[in-house]
Amino acid sequence: MSYALGIDVGGTFTDAVASDGAGRIVSAKTPTTPPHREVGVMRAIEDIAGELGIGVAELLTQTDYIAHGTTASINALVQGHVADVGLIATKGHRDAIYIMNAEGRTLGRSAHEVQDTLRQRKPAPLIPKYRALEVTERIDHSGKVLVPLDEDEVRHVARSLVDQGVEAIAVCLLWSFKNGAHEQRVRELIHEIAPDMYVTLSCEVSPRIREFARTSTTIMNAQVGPRLRTYLLPLQKHLEEGGLKGPLLVMQSEGGTITADRAPEHAITTVGSVLSGGVIGGMRLAEQLGHRNVITTDVGGTTFLAGLIVDGEPVMAPGSIVNQFPINAATIRVHTIGSGGGALASVDAGGNLRLGPQSAEAVPGPACYGNGGTRPTNTDANLVLGILSPHGLLGGRKPLRMDLARQAIREHVAEPLGLSVEEAAIAIHEVQNAQAGDLLRRAVVQAGYDPRDFVAYAFGGAGPAHCAGYCQDLGVSEVVVPLGPVASAFSAYGLAASDIVMSAELSDPSSFPVDHTVLESHYARLEADLQRALDRQKVKFHDVTVQREIDLRYSMQVTELATAVPDTEFTERTGDEILERFEEQYERINGSGAGYREAGVQAITYRVRAKAGLGFPIRLPAVPEADGPDPAEALLAERDVCLDSQIGFVPTPVYDYARLRAGHELVGPAIVDVPTTVVVVPAGVTGRVDHLGNLVLRYQ
Amino acid sequence: MTSRIPGADEFTSRPLPREELLRQISPTLPLHRIDDERADQVDALTYEVVRHRLWAITQEMGETLRRMSGSHVVTESNDFNFSICDELGEQVQVGAYNIGLIGSMDLAIVWTLRNRSDNPGIAEGDMFLCNDPWIGGGLHQNDAAVLAPIFHDGKLFGWTTAIAHQVDLGGPRPGSFSPSAQDVFGEAVPTPPLKVVRDGVLQRDVADAWVRRSRLPHLVGLDLRAKIAANKNAIEQILRLITKYGADTVKGVMRRMMDDAERRLRAKLETLPDGTWTAVGYQEQSQTGDRGLHAIKVAMTKEADRLVFDFRGTAEQTGIINCPYPGLRAGIVFTMLPLLAGDIPWAAGGLMRCFEIVTDEDTITNASFPAAVGKGPFGPAWGAGNLVAEVLAKMLDAEPAHRSDVQSICNGTTDLCVVSGVDVRGGGSKRFVSPVFDVMAGGYGAQVHHDGVDTGGRLIIPSARAPDVEMTEYLYPLVALWRREQTDSGGPGRQRGGMSGSVCYVQHPDQTGTMSLVVSGTGKVANQNVGLAGGYPGNSQLDLVVRGIDVPQLARAAAIPTDLGELGGEVEVLPCEGESDLGPGDALYLHWQAGGGYGDPLLRAAESVRDDVLQVRVSADAARDVYGVVLREDGAVDATATEEFREQLRHRRASGAGLSDTALAPIGTPDPSGARRLDDNLAVRESPDGGTVVCVHCGTEIGPLAGSAFVAALARRDSAPTEAGPHIWHDPLVYVDAEVVFRQLFCPGCLTAVNSRVVPVDHPLPADHYRGWA
Repeated sequence: MSYALGIDVGGTFTDAVASDGAGRIVSAKTPTTPPHREVGVMRAIEDIAGELGIGVAELLTQTDYIAHGTTASINALVQGHVADVGLIATKGHRDAIYIMNAEGRTLGRSAHEVQDTLRQRKPAPLIPKYRALEVTERIDHSGKVLVPLDEDEVRHVARSLVDQGVEAIAVCLLWSFKNGAHEQRVRELIHEIAPDMYVTLSCEVSPRIREFARTSTTIMNAQVGPRLRTYLLPLQKHLEEGGLKGPLLVMQSEGGTITADRAPEHAITTVGSVLSGGVIGGMRLAEQLGHRNVITTDVGGTTFLAGLIVDGEPVMAPGSIVNQFPINAATIRVHTIGSGGGALASVDAGGNLRLGPQSAEAVPGPACYGNGGTRPTNTDANLVLGILSPHGLLGGRKPLRMDLARQAIREHVAEPLGLSVEEAAIAIHEVQNAQAGDLLRRAVVQAGYDPRDFVAYAFGGAGPAHCAGYCQDLGVSEVVVPLGPVASAFSAYGLAASDIVMSAELSDPSSFPVDHTVLESHYARLEADLQRALDRQKVKFHDVTVQREIDLRYSMQVTELATAVPDTEFTERTGDEILERFEEQYERINGSGAGYREAGVQAITYRVRAKAGLGFPIRLPAVPEADGPDPAEALLAERDVCLDSQIGFVPTPVYDYARLRAGHELVGPAIVDVPTTVVVVPAGVTGRVDHLGNLVLRYQ
Repeated sequence: MTSRIPGADEFTSRPLPREELLRQISPTLPLHRIDDERADQVDALTYEVVRHRLWAITQEMGETLRRMSGSHVVTESNDFNFSICDELGEQVQVGAYNIGLIGSMDLAIVWTLRNRSDNPGIAEGDMFLCNDPWIGGGLHQNDAAVLAPIFHDGKLFGWTTAIAHQVDLGGPRPGSFSPSAQDVFGEAVPTPPLKVVRDGVLQRDVADAWVRRSRLPHLVGLDLRAKIAANKNAIEQILRLITKYGADTVKGVMRRMMDDAERRLRAKLETLPDGTWTAVGYQEQSQTGDRGLHAIKVAMTKEADRLVFDFRGTAEQTGIINCPYPGLRAGIVFTMLPLLAGDIPWAAGGLMRCFEIVTDEDTITNASFPAAVGKGPFGPAWGAGNLVAEVLAKMLDAEPAHRSDVQSICNGTTDLCVVSGVDVRGGGSKRFVSPVFDVMAGGYGAQVHHDGVDTGGRLIIPSARAPDVEMTEYLYPLVALWRREQTDSGGPGRQRGGMSGSVCYVQHPDQTGTMSLVVSGTGKVANQNVGLAGGYPGNSQLDLVVRGIDVPQLARAAAIPTDLGELGGEVEVLPCEGESDLGPGDALYLHWQAGGGYGDPLLRAAESVRDDVLQVRVSADAARDVYGVVLREDGAVDATATEEFREQLRHRRASGAGLSDTALAPIGTPDPSGARRLDDNLAVRESPDGGTVVCVHCGTEIGPLAGSAFVAALARRDSAPTEAGPHIWHDPLVYVDAEVVFRQLFCPGCLTAVNSRVVPVDHPLPADHYRGWA
C-alpha cells in the first residue's frame, strides 16, 4: 500500500487527509499547537494512522509524499513576528520602500476605508531606516552598467548590518531584473563576511519591473525565510526519522508545491498556501464531477474566500497585498469577500444595518459562544433563526447560548431598527447573503466572466449554511456542498491532491510584437530554468505540461493582461497571433470596441508555468446508493426554522449527513446536520445527494 | 457671470433649484421621477442591497478606467473620478479619486439638460464629451468628461459620468498648460458637451476632432474609449438592478442615500460650535514675470446645521491663476469631504446641500470668460481648499469629541514640471510629454494625536499614487540620481507634519539635445502647508535646474551625487510660473511640499524627536534648533540639556517679541476646570465679558474671547523665514517683491507658540468668532 497525505495547519485546527490511492480517503482534525506547530502536525498524522488502523511508522514508510500548507508565514507577516532584516539598495533609492509610491495609505484598503482619509496611515515600515543602506552602483533600463558597483562600500555596509545583528539581508537594486550581476556580487561579498547569512536577491525572488513591489517582496521573503527554515527543518527531520518514504512538500500560493528544504529560500511563495488548498480541492472535485467552471466559496469564522476555476484551471493573479505592502508572487487569485460567520452586525449612525467588515474573531467569537462576546454576529442570527441547533455544535459537545445571542441582537440591531429579535435576525441573515452575493458576483464579473456559466462549491464552517442564499442572485446553475469523507477537511484534501506548479518569468518591457527570435530566446531560457527547478523536486512526475504567457498592454497602460502564447514553434506569424489573442481577451473583459491597437502595444513580462502531476490519484470514493429519493431514513428531527423573511418560522426537517445516500432528494425547507457545519436548503431549493455524497442544490 | 465677451455667459453653470431646472428642460425629454414619499417606502433590506450594489458599480467604474486608460495621470496618479447621478444630475455615489471633480460633475449635467435636451436631444445610447471648465465636468481644460444618460422605459432615469485628466489637449505648450497665457485663447480650447456616442456608436467625426487637437492623440483616443466603456458597464449594471427591483425602488434608494448623507452631515454640524472662522492664503506670481502675491480669503460661518463659505475680498482675476465657479465649488469639496464627511457615505448630492457659497464676481476663484484657467484646479481651487481645511480644523478643534478629526494642512498644491522632448535612446525618435509624477508623494498634515503621514500622497486625491522610478526611466530618457524622503521637510510641531520628498533627474547617457520644461507651483515663499495651533509650516516648494554638473549624464561616473552639494555646477532657481530647459550637462531638482505641524515643536516629546533623528526624518541640527532637543553622542536624549535649551529658546522668543526678560511662567497642567478648549494651547474660562482666553500650559489669563480681543494680548514676533527651520526658503526676493516673515504669536506667560506661519508682513492677525460661548 502507498499513501499521499495533505496537512493543513490553520490558525485553530490542523486538518489532515490521507488517500491510499485505492479509493480509501480518511481525514482527521486536531488543535493547532503554536508556537511548536510540528507537534500538532505529528498528532494529526497519528490520528490519521489511527483512522487507517495502522501505526505511524507503517504509515510514514508507505507515504509517497506529504503536501503541507501552513498559515505560519502569513500569520508571521500579519502579526509582525518576523526576522530582523537589513536592506541594501541602490544609491539614492533607499526610500522606495518608505515612499511606497505614495499609495501606502490605501494599498489593500476597501473603498470605505480610503474615503475615511483622516484615519488612513501607512503601515509600520518593514524595516527601520537605519537598517536600510545604500551602495554606489547604477544599471539602466536596458541592463547596461552606468556606474560600477563599489565593492568596498558593499563590504562596509554589509559589516554594518551584521554588526546591527540582522538575521537576514534583502538586496534590491534598480533594474536588477535586467542585469543581476551587481546583486549577485553583493551576495558574494556578504557571504565573505557572514557565510551563513540568509540573503534574498530581488532578481531571483521577483524579477519584475517596478522597484517598490520588488523591494517589498524581497524584504518580506527575507523576513519569513529564516523562521520557515527553523520550523520546517525539524519537522522534516522528525518525519524522516519516522521513516517518511517520500518528500515533504510545501504548498505555494500559486497552487503547486515546493520541497521543504527549498521552501525557506522562496518563503514568500508559500504565504498563501492554505488559501490555495481549498481552490485546488475544488479543482479536483470539479474534475470528478465534470465541471469546467467553478466558483469556490470557503467561509470560515472570520473570512469569506472565493476562488475561480475556469476551464478546469484556477484563475491566477500576479501578486497580492499583505499589511498594505505588495507581494510579487504568482498566486491563485483568492478574493476576500468580507467576513465570515463571525461578521459583526451593527446599525450605523444613519440607521443602516451593516454586516462586517469587523469580525468577532476567534476570541471572543459570537455572543452565543459565551466567551464574552456581546455584539451580534451572523452565527448568533443563525441560532435565533433555528438554522443552528439549539443543542449546539459538534453534536452538542459545543453548546450555544440562545439567551446571549438574543440579547446581543436585541441591543445592537432590533431595538435601534424597531424590529423584533426574530425580524432582526432574518435581516442579518439576508443582508449577509445579499452582501456576499454582490461581492462574489463582482469578483466573477471583474475577472471577465459571466457567473451563469459557473457552478458554485461551498465549504468551510459557515459556507453551507449560507450558500443557497449568497449564490441565488449569481445565476449559477447549481451549488455543490462537498460532504463525504473530506467534508470538514476540504483544504487538506486540496493539498493532498495538488500538482507541482512552478513558474519562471523575466521582465523585458518593449514594443510588441517583438521579433520571433526574441520570443524564442526568452522562452528557451525560461523553459530551461524551469526544467532545472523541476529536477530539484526529488519526486517522480506523472506528466509535465508547460504553458507560456506574456503580459501585454496598450502603450502606457499600467495594467497588463496575461495572454497565452502558443506552445508551437515560433514563426514570423506568432507575434501577430499573440496580439490577436490579447485583443480578443481585452474586449471580452472591457466590452467590444474597447480595443485600440492604434495606440500601440507593449510587452512587459514573459512567463512560463510548468505543471507536473505527482501521479497519485486522489479521487473521492463513491457512497452507497439510496433505494429511492425519499431521505426519511436520514431524518434526525424537526424544528422551527426561519430561512426567509417572507415565510417566517416553519417546522423544518433536520437530516443527518452520515445517513444520506446517493440519490436522496431533500425538498426545501430542510437542514442537514454535519458535525462542523449545517447545510441550509431553503424553500424553493432542492438538494440531491450525488454519487460522491455531495449535496447538490438547485433553484426551482 | 459677467464676461465682457457677449454670449460667453451662456457657457456657465451654477446650481439651480430643482423646480427651476425642470422648467428649463425640453418637454420632449421624458424624465423618470418619483415623489418624495417613495424614498421612504423602500424597506431596510432592499435599501441595503441596492445601496451596496450601487457602491459596487461605482467601484467597478474606477477599476475599468484604470485598467483601460493609457494616460499616466490616470494610471500612475489616479487623477480621475466618476459618479452615478439621478435624472437631474444630483450625485448619488462618487469615487474616492480626485475629489474636486465631484464639485463639477453635477454642474455639467445641469448644463447639458438645459442646453442639449431639445437639440441635438438626449436619447438612449448617447454620451456627451465635455472639457469646458465654466460648464463643469472638470476643473480645467485637461479634465475631459464623458456624461452618459441612463434610460429606462424611454425615460431619462439618471446619469453616469467618467472624468480623467488628459496629459495634452493642445494649446501652445506641451501639456496644455501655459504659464504665460494672456487669456483662455492662449490655452487648450474649452469644449462644451458634444454628442460623442450616438445610439451606442462612437461618432468617428467627433472622436477625430477631439484627438486632433492633442500632441498625444493615441493616449487621448485610448482614454476616450476607457471612459465610454466605464459608463457602458455601469449603465448595464444599473439597468439590471432596475429589472430586478423596479425603477421606482432603485430611484427611491438613490434619493434616500443622498438624504441620509445630508442628514448625517447636518447632524454632525449640529454638534459643532457655532461661529465664524477666517483664513487667508496666497497664490505667488500670477504668470511668468509677475512678482506679486494674490490673496484668497475665506470666512466660514457655521450656524446650527449649515455652513456658509464667504470668499469676498479675494483678489481680482489676473494672469493664469484663475478658476471658474465650478473650481471654487471644487475647492470646498476638495477638503470638506475628506475632513468633515470621511465617515459618511459619499452620496455627494446630499453633502452638497449643506453649504452655500458667497463670492464676488471676476475674482481668481470665480473667474469669468476669457480668463486663463488652465491652472484652476491646482492653483486657486486647491488654494481655496487649503483655506477651507484650515477653517474646518479650527472649528473641529474647539469640540473635544472631534479633535481627532483635526489635521493641519497637507501639501498645498502640486509641483508641476512638464518635461518634453524627443526620446532617441536605442536609435529611436519618439516625442514625449509628461509631468514629473514623483511629486504626488506629498506630506500629510499632522493631527492632534498623530504625526502627519510621510510621503502620503494627496488629501484631495485620497487614492493618489506616484510611479516607480523604473517605470519613469523606462518611459522617458531620464535617470533619477535620487528620489527620497526629505529630512526636515515635515512641518515641525508637537505632532510633526508628514515629510515630502525630492527627486533629481539627469538625461540618460544615450540622450542628446535639450528637453523643455514648463513649471508651475506656488508655496515657494508664503507657505501653503500651514501648521495649526502653533505648529510650523512644512517645507517651501523648491525647483532648480543645476547647470553643468560634475557628472553630466553620469558619464564615466565612479560615484553618484546624493544631494545638491555633491552635484557641482551652477544653480538656477525656477520661478513659480515659467519655462526653462534641461540640457545634457544639467540636473533637474524638484522638492515638493510636506504637511504642516500641529502644536508647538517645543512641546514634542524628546523621545519622539530622538526617534525622528534615528529614522532620518529630522536632522540633529533641527532637533536642537527647532525642537530644542539635545542628543548625546550615543544618540540618547540629554534630558537636562534639553530642558535648559528649551528654556533658552523660550527666552529668545520673549526678547524677540519685545517682552522684558522677566521669568517665564512654568509649564505644567493647570487646573482646567470650567475652561473649554479652543485648541492645543488655548481654553476659554467663563467671565462676564463673554469668556476669557487662558493658556492650558501655564494658566496665564490672556484676554477676552469676544471679538478675538485676546489676540492683541499675545506676544508677537516677526523674524526671518529661516527662523522656522532649515526647510524654509531663505530669500523670498527671488520670487516676489513683498516682505515675507516668519510670524509667531505666543502665550505671553510661557511663550508657547499658538500660531506660527510664514506670511507677507501685511498678513492679517487671526480673527475668529466663537458664538454663544459665554
